[in-house]
Amino acid sequence: MTANGYAQLRKRPRVAALVGVLVGLLAALSASALPATALGVDAPRTSAADVIDPDTAAETIAVWIRQTSDKAGIPDVAVTVEGDGFSQDFTTDKDGRVAVGLPGPGTYTVTVDEGTIPESAGKLPDGSNPREVRVVQTNKNVPANFLASTTAGTGTGSTPAPSGSAGTEAPGGTTGDGTGAAVPQATTSGTGFWGIVSAKLATGVIFGLLLALAAIGASLIYGTTGLNNFAHGELVTFGGLMAYVLAGFGAPGAVGIIGAVILGGLFGFVQDSAIWRPLRRRRVGLIPLMIVSIGLALATRYIFVFFFGADRLSLPNNPSPFLVLGAVSLRFTDVLGAVLSIIVLLAVAFVMLRTKLGKAARAVADNSALAAASGIDVDRVIRSVWIGAGALAALSGVLIAYYQALRWDTGSAILLLIFAAVTLGGLGSAFGALVGSMVLSIFMNLSTLVLPENLKYAAALVVLILILLFRPQGILGKRERVG
Amino acid sequence: MPKTPTADLVAGPVAPGVPKRNPIIVADGVSRRFGGLTAVDVAHVEIPANAITALIGPNGAGKTTFFNLLTGFDQPNTGTWTFQGRDLARVSAYRVARRGMVRTFQLTKSLGLMTVMDNMLLGATQQPGENMLRALFRPLWRSREDEIRVRAQSLLERFKLDTKAEDYAASLSGGQRKLLEMARALMSEPQLVMLDEPMAGVNPALTQSLLGHILDLKEQGMTVLFVEHDMHVVREIADWVIVMAEGKVVAEGAPDTVMSDPAVIDAYLGAHHETDLGTLSGQLEVAKGMESDVVRSDIEEAAKDAH
Amino acid sequence: MNLNFIWLALGEAISPTTAAYALATIGLVVHFGFTGLLNFGQAGFMAVGGYAFAITTLKLGLPLPFAFLAAILASAAFALVLGIPTLRLRSDYLAIVTIAAAEIIRLSVKTPELTDITGGATGLNGAAATFNALNPIPDGRYGIGVLTYTADQLWVRVLGWALVLIACLIVFLLIRSPWGRVIKGIREDEDAVRSLGKNVFSYKMQALVLGGVLGGLAGALFILPRSLQPDNYGTQLTFFLYTIMLLGGATTVFGPLVGSMLFWVVLSLSDGLLSLGVRSGLLPLTSTQQGPIRFIIVGAALALLVVFRPQGLLGKKKEVFFSA
Repeated sequence: MTANGYAQLRKRPRVAALVGVLVGLLAALSASALPATALGVDAPRTSAADVIDPDTAAETIAVWIRQTSDKAGIPDVAVTVEGDGFSQDFTTDKDGRVAVGLPGPGTYTVTVDEGTIPESAGKLPDGSNPREVRVVQTNKNVPANFLASTTAGTGTGSTPAPSGSAGTEAPGGTTGDGTGAAVPQATTSGTGFWGIVSAKLATGVIFGLLLALAAIGASLIYGTTGLNNFAHGELVTFGGLMAYVLAGFGAPGAVGIIGAVILGGLFGFVQDSAIWRPLRRRRVGLIPLMIVSIGLALATRYIFVFFFGADRLSLPNNPSPFLVLGAVSLRFTDVLGAVLSIIVLLAVAFVMLRTKLGKAARAVADNSALAAASGIDVDRVIRSVWIGAGALAALSGVLIAYYQALRWDTGSAILLLIFAAVTLGGLGSAFGALVGSMVLSIFMNLSTLVLPENLKYAAALVVLILILLFRPQGILGKRERVG
Repeated sequence: MPKTPTADLVAGPVAPGVPKRNPIIVADGVSRRFGGLTAVDVAHVEIPANAITALIGPNGAGKTTFFNLLTGFDQPNTGTWTFQGRDLARVSAYRVARRGMVRTFQLTKSLGLMTVMDNMLLGATQQPGENMLRALFRPLWRSREDEIRVRAQSLLERFKLDTKAEDYAASLSGGQRKLLEMARALMSEPQLVMLDEPMAGVNPALTQSLLGHILDLKEQGMTVLFVEHDMHVVREIADWVIVMAEGKVVAEGAPDTVMSDPAVIDAYLGAHHETDLGTLSGQLEVAKGMESDVVRSDIEEAAKDAH
Repeated sequence: MNLNFIWLALGEAISPTTAAYALATIGLVVHFGFTGLLNFGQAGFMAVGGYAFAITTLKLGLPLPFAFLAAILASAAFALVLGIPTLRLRSDYLAIVTIAAAEIIRLSVKTPELTDITGGATGLNGAAATFNALNPIPDGRYGIGVLTYTADQLWVRVLGWALVLIACLIVFLLIRSPWGRVIKGIREDEDAVRSLGKNVFSYKMQALVLGGVLGGLAGALFILPRSLQPDNYGTQLTFFLYTIMLLGGATTVFGPLVGSMLFWVVLSLSDGLLSLGVRSGLLPLTSTQQGPIRFIIVGAALALLVVFRPQGLLGKKKEVFFSA
């Protein structure tokens, strides 16, 4: 339950945020710069010898030492964090946690003094200590989790293995609980309110584009088959993981992306052929189909854990700024992701509007019986939609892996956002999904101006509900069908 | 049961919107638009009480939409109407039914996963056991249950479904389901029975019996309003015919008069001049933009009955 | 070879967690199985009930009956808030609204700003104190072999299963009554029921509240043997409940009971067997690879059940309304 730890460590009190907004508005009015520290951004960097307050540091590591058996934290364990001329000793608190403020980005070594772990709590698994932790700019609460076990194993890091009956442990450090912990995003060099707004806007736009890639596929599947695909998140994760595998073989980034997209399309094809098409043949209803997709999502997600473990995986990335626009500083992969998304989305638009396949897909979405009657091979169209959706979701997954983080639940964590985007834009409409994704993502990121960071995901879901209640046809959908 | 002569029904010269001597429904300025399309635009129409009125018109004339509006299943953009002198516009569907105006559906809505008997019992009113708290205490609703069971049994006998009482309704044929739906509607002892295409998909063997049942309703003092495509049926049982086209009432009158009116034939048939009105029976109404599954179930329904 | 795990797995059949899952699933059966409401947020109802229970005992210091009352009222209120706007919408909208609402609850209680009330991300601990204080069972150990319970452990089992049986009885009586007839009519075709003069919206709301309250009580029961953790109420919890429901039979009253018992016994057995296999070196798995396997089993079981045996163990194939 590492997420708990991070959420607690994140100190972004609502009051401070509100004050920040007000002060920021004043500052904007008087056109004068605001001391960045008032907003808790870009704290002054201290020299390595000082203890850095993790509340104000731009980069922190969250160390959490626990027992495997009951996930209880182990207090009073000595931990040393070293790197880049920085070296400091810490002791875990009563929950087994300690937050370490860092002087800046870089690679740090976290070493646990195993002698200070009580014998009853057991030992750390071989090879898990010391641990290297990579921290990029404004990366807060990068996890360094250690699990001590009385039965010495070889496993490392935290495990998502369900403890007891609860079985719903939400893993930490993902977008899953909306805390967005440890997510490197468009960073701000910290020049007042507008600097923050523009950084959030940039994050919103980029993430919106990535979300749109996934959402369009989900929307097309819904449109052509009526299925709310709960396993769509796994298509996204699959893409990220395939890029990770390819990177593991030493493939360059471009090969990783292309490979992941191809494999993603293949995954979509295999899913349709092995599962969805036979179920359509059996004339299985939409509710059971939805439940099948839930089961599939659950199984696939944990197959990912089985093979890739529960820890964060990182793709090789250059953390240095590539493009600096005013207060917004972007890495190369951020820019690449956005540009790639735009190109692909334009290509999708072209396919949908200009090609025979796109027209056929729209006809099937409109009325599949009529489409079939007019000679369209509905099954073939649906298969193409699955391949396309798989490829798009995989691309989204790779780019999200570069942009934020990759884990076994990267995709499932954004599943409800995908649904929200699709709903917002109008169920079953590809272009609606794009608009919906952008609106949702920008809204989500701007909402953190007034809301605590960890509620932005909840805010997006509130929007989803409001849309369903007041404009269920979405932003672009038609109010009523004729007939 | 002899037909009610025109003179006993109308209170004025026969024309669209003619006032009736004893109207059960009086509707004014009812309109319903879907996007840019006006599905219903009825200036004035009255439905005579204790008579059998047929509502006819070409596909897309707005008959079913008008039905849905009157029964509260759809909301009008404009308009008012009264039922037995009381305002009934924009009243929710279940309240309409409680006022004594029950309907059946074009696509039969028998509840297939319930037994025929349970379908019937569901149609009854004033069952205290339908209240959640009272439902827990059987003595509070048992006597009413016995009463409505007796009534259900006699209705099932009348509709020759009594042998099927304990079967799942899904096992009935299309025609039997129509019968069940009608019998179920009668459980509440309504004043007005509205039948949406009662003959659609019913095999010829059952047609006569269905017609007999409709005539029985009038004999028992009820009013019947029905939408129908089969002109033989309309001719045979209707006392009065209202013709709709493009959402409007274009003609009214006794069956023989209306059907020989060349203007009606024109409006009704549009491009199908050479078609004999009597052969339109059983045709499927496939509206534009209709959901495919509805179309599909329509086709299946028809196919099932063809066997 | 230590085969205690078999006994422990069988003991899962009567564990309070199994009872809590059974109770929540009975609620889900009322929603989905009998009324056709696609509630994907039963975890949210459990969370609401659990928090109401824990906050009433821990923060307000009120006695146990008030805590249960709070769980009932809070989950009923949650049902009303969800139901009033959504029950008129299409059924898949209800699914998305409920799953989103459940997530909103989980994320909101975790906010650090609410730590004083909800305990933030760490949750609340010790809600069972007032419950255990009322334990009439004298101290001691009860049971046989490895299945031996303390007085408190026995007490929570007794009360938990009593709650489950009462819920079963109530639902059983309701479903066989004219009320149940209306509800079952609605699940198949609400327009037909509406045309017969029944206030469909009101019935759906009653069913939503009833099932939600059962979920809320299950939430309270769920935290008696453990601390309240917000992340226990994620979407996976709801999906587990669906698996249990489909296992026992979605349109049956006692299906949830059988389903929940079987679910937990099988999961514990598979865990035990895996551990055995790993420790003896028969299975080439690391200890971290063991954990995910149960989820893979659950996911596959859910998908296979709904397609190949939608009526579950106890249901009748002819009453499966959702497979067509």
